[in-house]
Amino acid sequence: MKKIRSTFLIVQAILLVFCCFLPSGCGGSEKEKNEKHSSVVFAMDTVMEITVYGDEEVLKKAEELIRDLERKFSVTLEESDISRLNATGNTRVSEETYALLKRGKEICERTEGALDLTVYPVVHAWGFTTGEHRVPSEKEIQKLLENVDFRRIALGENMLVTVPSGVMTDLGSVAKGYTGDRLMELFKDSGVTSALINLGGNVQALGTKPDGSLWKVAVADPKGGEEYAGVVTMEGKAVITSGAYERFFEENGHVYHHIIDTSTGCPAESGFVSVTVVGDEGTLCDGLSTSLFAMGPEKAFEFWKNSDDFEAVFITSDEKIFVTEGIADAFTPLGRFQKKETEVIRRD
Amino acid sequence: MIKTKTWIMIFAAMLLIFGAVSFWSFTRPSKGTVANIYVNGECVRSVDLSLVTESFEFTVETSAGTNVIQVEPGRIRVKEADCPDQVCVHAGWIADSANPVVCLPHRLVIRLEKNGKSADGPDAVSK
Repeated sequence: MKKIRSTFLIVQAILLVFCCFLPSGCGGSEKEKNEKHSSVVFAMDTVMEITVYGDEEVLKKAEELIRDLERKFSVTLEESDISRLNATGNTRVSEETYALLKRGKEICERTEGALDLTVYPVVHAWGFTTGEHRVPSEKEIQKLLENVDFRRIALGENMLVTVPSGVMTDLGSVAKGYTGDRLMELFKDSGVTSALINLGGNVQALGTKPDGSLWKVAVADPKGGEEYAGVVTMEGKAVITSGAYERFFEENGHVYHHIIDTSTGCPAESGFVSVTVVGDEGTLCDGLSTSLFAMGPEKAFEFWKNSDDFEAVFITSDEKIFVTEGIADAFTPLGRFQKKETEVIRRD
Repeated sequence: MIKTKTWIMIFAAMLLIFGAVSFWSFTRPSKGTVANIYVNGECVRSVDLSLVTESFEFTVETSAGTNVIQVEPGRIRVKEADCPDQVCVHAGWIADSANPVVCLPHRLVIRLEKNGKSADGPDAVSK
């Protein structure tokens, strides 16, 4: 009897010792003040990773917010504000959709139409919305371009939005940026002081890491793979990249990527392979990353010189990196880009 | 008398085990990198990559399809999948916490998480 009991005790002791060494796996339980909580949300046709420090409850609210905005902005969900607008040309929309249409139009205006919320039919003709890629004829593109003009989105009283028939609106170029801004607001209101989100490659942070150090955000290598082109250190900023490498297809030896030049209706052959915009406002960074890419180096650098609300890292087709002076010290090239030239753009 | 002996034995056993486990965990080149596999946002399996000594495979069944995951010391990848785009398979091995493997059609994510506070790599990748 004694022997049995002592064996039992030994087994218990062994178990106790082993428990102390269990690695933190699924739902690990470190009880720290600044405990890290993460979640993964599949929404807006991409994967979203959310990390907050401290308050775990806010993750659920974050997911609800994302789902809610997706239901309002989606071009594919039939009952969304945007689908209703595209189907009827005249509808009342939610406050969020109205606010984003308004902010989106301002960015379109500022980029002189390099960003255009009504380019959707052209992107659709190239098959980038469905994956059924094709090269449309010149005639077809010209016909579609007649209906590309963000100025025709009329924002009226009481959330009423009107567009002429034939014009189609899509918030895809700014929706993830706006979602990032709204998540940052939610975190702040919930008392969170440290958070990092990655909405399908759109990175945005609240504050610094819990230990006060800066976030390190890598800029993807336009050639893909495990390498990075460089790393940006920052606090409380959005870091949003548009690259020709994200979505593309090949036909008769020519590569067609998804960033459409709104003046030609064709994939932008601008001389850039990637543009990363860093700033306080996700919506602006999102809209500008696409439009600066389409503008090409000369216009994009000039655009930055006339602005004071963002910084950028540009990678050209010949793999040269240009970084604006405001983040020149915060940017470090990595891998094969260490051996290449990095030029700092200054305001003179 | 027997009781005291038993207690000494228990104490000795605990000490021995504690020593062995400590030795084993300290001599390992462990940075405590854990690969968490998420389906639809829920963590379904964890593998401590620093404790892996031999390559092994396992299959994750999701409502949309299956992914065969291969683990080697310090790294992990999706070896095969019946998803249409094969993006997860082409992503290859990962050993970096900032860049997860994603299978969008199956809503599967493999992410590396470090137990320690200081991770050398970037916190996220902008792309």
